[in-house]
Parts: sequence; C-alpha cells; structure tokens
Amino acid sequence: MPLPHLTLITGKGGSGKSSTAGALALALSNRGKTVLADLDQRQTSAQLLGIRIDERGNLSAMENLQLRSLTPRNELESFIERIVKIRAISRRMLRSHTFGYVTAALPGLEAFLMLERLRQLADEAAARDGFAVIDAPASGGVLELLSVTGGVRDLAPSGTLNRLARAVDDFLRNSGRFGVWVTARPERLAIHEASETLANLRDKLGIRHVAAVLNGVPDQLFSSTDYAKMLGLAEHRRLALQRKATSELAARARSQFEEAGFEVIELPMLYTSEFARPQLEMLAAALDRLARRDNKERSNLHSKHVRGK
Amino acid sequence: MSAASDLTAQRLIICVGPGGVGKTTIAAALALEAALSGRAVDVMTIDPSPRLLDILGLQVRPARPHDIPLAALHPRRGGRLRALRLDPKRMFDRLIEHYAPSAAARDAILGNRIYRGLSRALAGVADYMAAEQLLDLRREATSDLIVLDTPPARGAIEFLDAPGRMLDLLSSPALALLGVSRQMAGSLRIFDFAARAVLAAFDRLTGLRLLSDVQAFVRSFEGMYEGFAQRAAQVQAMIREPTCTLVLITSAEQQRVEQTRDFVSSLKRLGLRPGALIVNRVMKPLPDLEEIRRARLPAPLKRKLERNFADFSALRAREGAWLQPLRELIDGVPMLMATDLGDEPDNLKDLVRIARSLRVAD
Repeated sequence: MPLPHLTLITGKGGSGKSSTAGALALALSNRGKTVLADLDQRQTSAQLLGIRIDERGNLSAMENLQLRSLTPRNELESFIERIVKIRAISRRMLRSHTFGYVTAALPGLEAFLMLERLRQLADEAAARDGFAVIDAPASGGVLELLSVTGGVRDLAPSGTLNRLARAVDDFLRNSGRFGVWVTARPERLAIHEASETLANLRDKLGIRHVAAVLNGVPDQLFSSTDYAKMLGLAEHRRLALQRKATSELAARARSQFEEAGFEVIELPMLYTSEFARPQLEMLAAALDRLARRDNKERSNLHSKHVRGK
Repeated sequence: MSAASDLTAQRLIICVGPGGVGKTTIAAALALEAALSGRAVDVMTIDPSPRLLDILGLQVRPARPHDIPLAALHPRRGGRLRALRLDPKRMFDRLIEHYAPSAAARDAILGNRIYRGLSRALAGVADYMAAEQLLDLRREATSDLIVLDTPPARGAIEFLDAPGRMLDLLSSPALALLGVSRQMAGSLRIFDFAARAVLAAFDRLTGLRLLSDVQAFVRSFEGMYEGFAQRAAQVQAMIREPTCTLVLITSAEQQRVEQTRDFVSSLKRLGLRPGALIVNRVMKPLPDLEEIRRARLPAPLKRKLERNFADFSALRAREGAWLQPLRELIDGVPMLMATDLGDEPDNLKDLVRIARSLRVAD
C-alpha cells in the first residue's frame, strides 16, 4: 500500500512509537519534504534524532525534515483567528479566562481542533508532494481523538464547526491522505491489544489505511538442534530461548495480523548499547527496504495483470 | 525480609509516576504482598489494563471495594485484600448529589452539557476524584493499609495538586463573573458583560449555543463551594501525614527516565519527597561469559552463544546508562528494581513474584 501523505503513529506505552515515528520521518525525508510533529510537547522523537525544538515550537532541523509540536492552546488560537476576522475581537476572546475554561470543558473541542490541524498538515504535504508523521498519544487516547468528530457534529448541528467536522471525517477516511500505524512489541498481551486497536480503527472508525508495526523483532540466531546441546549452560540457554520465543511470537503475531487483513511492518531488534540517531537511521533504512520491496511486488503484480490480459 | 516490606508497613501508599510504566501493576503487587503478610489492605486502581482488571476481579466496576479470594496463596492471619476501581465521572456525580442544595439544582447540574464535558475532559477531575475516594476509604477505617494508584500524569504530580486546582477553578473570578452572585460579581459587572459578549460571539460563529449552558452551570454550583474547600483541605493534610508514603514508579526506558526527572522536581516544589523509587521491568542480571568459554561445545555454537551474550549485554548496558541519571536524581531515596517477567502478569501469583523480585539497586 503506498503511504498516505500523513501517517499517525500510535501504540501502547513503551511500544516504540517515537522511535518508529522518528525512523519513518527520516526515511520519508529522502523522498520529499517531511514534517515530524508530536501532540504532547515532549518532543521525544526529536530528542531521539538529536534535535531540539525552539521556544516557538518550530525548527527546521534538516533541509527536508521539519519538526513541529502541536498544542491544544495554539490550535484554539489559530482556529479563533481563522473564524473571527476582526483581530480586536479574536484577541479579546483568547484573553478571556472564562472562554478558556469553557473551551477546555467542551467535550472534544480541543481534540477536534487537533484533527483539523492534522487535516491541514496533510493538505500541505500533498500540495508539495511531501509527508507528515505524527508521534501520537497511546492507543486509547488516539481512538478517543479520532472518534471526536461525531460528537462535534451533534454539538454543532450547523455552522462553521459542523462544516469542518464533515471535512475532517472525509479526511480520516481518505487513504491517500491519512493512515495510522499501530506499534507493538512481540509480547502476547501487547499483540492482543494492538489487534483490537487496529480492528477498532478500521471497522468502527472506517479508517482505510491501517498497518501494524512489529517493533524489536530479533533475528533467529540458533538452529532448532542447538538448544539441546547447551543444556549444561542453563542461564545462557535461558537467554537463547528467550530470543527464540520472542522471534517466534513475532512470527505468530505477523500471521495473526495478516490473517485479519492488516499490513505488517517488521522492524528489527537492535542489540546496541545506545539508542539514538544512528539507530533511528538503521530503522529508517529497514523501512526503506520494505517500501522498495513493496513497490517491486506491486509492479510485478501489475505486469502479471497486464500479461494476463 | 523482602525489600517491599518496609513500604507495606505504612498506612497509606500513593503510587505516582508517568503513564505506561506498570504503575497499577506495582500498586497491586505491593497491596497483595502486604495482605499476604497479614494486613487488611484496600487497593484502589484508576485505569488498569484489561488483564489486571481480570486478576483483581474488577471487570464489572463494583461501586464498593470487593474482596479478592486469597486462600490459595495462604495469607497470614488477618490478611485480606479488597480492590476498587475508580470511576471519576460517577464519583463527581455522587459529590454533586451529596452537596447540591436541592433536587432541582442537582438535576440541573447533572444534565448540563458543560458539566458533562467538564467531568470528563478537564484535566484534574480524575485526580480530584481519586482524592475524594481516598477520603471515603479513610473514613470507613476498616483497613490497615490503603494503596492508591493515581491517574497517569504528564510530568507534574497532578494528583497531589488536584484539590488545590479544583478549588482554583470553582472559585475563579472567571466562573463567578459569568453569572454567579458571589461577593465580587456586583462590582465587576462590566467584565461579566465582556465574558458574555465573547461567548455570544463564539456561539454565533460556531453554531454551538453555549452561553446559556455555561450560565446555568455556574449558577447551579452556587452554594457548593464550601463543601469542596473542606474536602480539599483534608486531602492536603492526609498526604503530608508521616504514615503516608509516596512511591515513585518508573521503568528503565529513556523517555520514562526523563519524565521521572520532571516528577521529582514537581514533588520538590510541593515540598514532598518520595519514600521510594521503584524501577519496573528491569532486566535480570546476565550469566557469566566464562561459562561459554569453558564449556565443551562445537566452536560454531560457542560463537553463537557468545554473540547472543554480547547482544543481551548491549541491552543491559543501554538500560544501565538510562538508569544512571535516576540514581543521581534521587540521592538518598531507596531505589528498588522489579524484574522483568517477560510478559504482563496473568494471575495473582505473578503479582506476588513481582513484589518479591523487588530488590535494592546496587
């Protein structure tokens, strides 16, 4: 499946969301201008890349990679400035504490404005033939975020917000513009939770581009006859078996995801004493290889199809 | 004596820490260990994983703490464990029911759109409700120890701060100005007008029709302020009692360590100090490399075993480097490590294993 202009990365805590987002942004920046944004102001993927964002929330990190931090407050401000054309009035609104409380309490308004920003980022990326990667909150929060438009349409049966909500709905279901990757490590329960998240995204929210990212998949170092030979080395055997179990679990997870109809992206376990920019570059290279393989398969498929005719 | 026993001798343990580190698991493990040692324990969880809900029998959200059968684990005499899952929305509703001056006021608040949004969306409501629940359990006085798991916080110790912030919100001039006749409203009528104008303009532009809801909401809160203030003061006092221990929980991952640093500094700002730092899911110590060298094995297999050892050593070195700043950060506070079991706990026995794996960091 070709990548949409905007990919949102989610998954449970510790599943490698930020490293996946950082690696994907690096890989995509070789193909076109790429924006890497987070929604929690932690700038985790930027830190992994060894880049800091300045006070104003923007920094052109590399020629083709730009970093952004999206905050509800900024989104509210730019929304108000957009709909209220007279600056004196928009400024007064934004200065009002009451207004701040009311908008914070209003179910889903902040989340909704965040989605509206994502829609704009995707539009901008599409216009310059580039990409946006979002390092998003954990899966539960993302499901809530992505299902907010329904509530907004109920709250505002007509007017600006209603119109925007419909546009955001269309955006989320446009597989060329929007996609979600769900990251998981090869652990039994993590895989189970990721499957549920993927199913919710596709079947309940109608998002058309969803993929599973298996993070930290170890290579099979030993052959099946090796384990019996190391019985005398109980503790070393335990480590060897741990590696085997993880790699088998990843293989099972892979077929489970594929059977359910989800694309699977497998990223290798990096046995390195550091985890920083060079490691993200290795993961980016792995993503690039996967994309090239996909393209090749697609063109093979295409040529077969042509010959079949 | 296990490393956990110092902690579980307390009256109240409040578990704080970043999200995704297994805070709820550690809270449950500590509670269970204390119950097995013969204490009457209540554990209150906020947002347990589905598996932990199963283990604690909380799938159905019981309104009251319910007993977890421990007989199979042979607790000491007097040991029992009750679990409770916090439901912030329901707790908020109960408070409203309790403090509302009349049935009409109660229904007006519970049905109000702003209230319904506020009770879910506003940061701090879950924290505040956790504190309320804690007061309830305390008043019952049927347990020796309460273990409280707090909602995931983003860096500040939001739970500890929550009562204060709730008071700030409810007493804020902004809300008062919108239509409540608190003392100051009369003299500041001009701002009242401004706030109304802002909301009216917003309504016109967005189609939301909020103004009347906001006014109704604020008016209906009138008269409830005193009750909230009292409870908030009680919670503040409780977390400063000497029999209350704050346990800071984190995991051996780079980002969590950074977040933990934020936690420690916000604790400091509140004049609080954690009683312990627990690092969850730490790798087991590695075996001796020499064993491979000495073993009588084919050379290719030895090379593979050495490579495997080197790979795991690299991961352990990575973990050690991430933990180093924590040691410096919490100078003097005991740092305990919980061993990674390879998967999430599946039953009560797994929780016991976690509690008993706790060891003081070397």
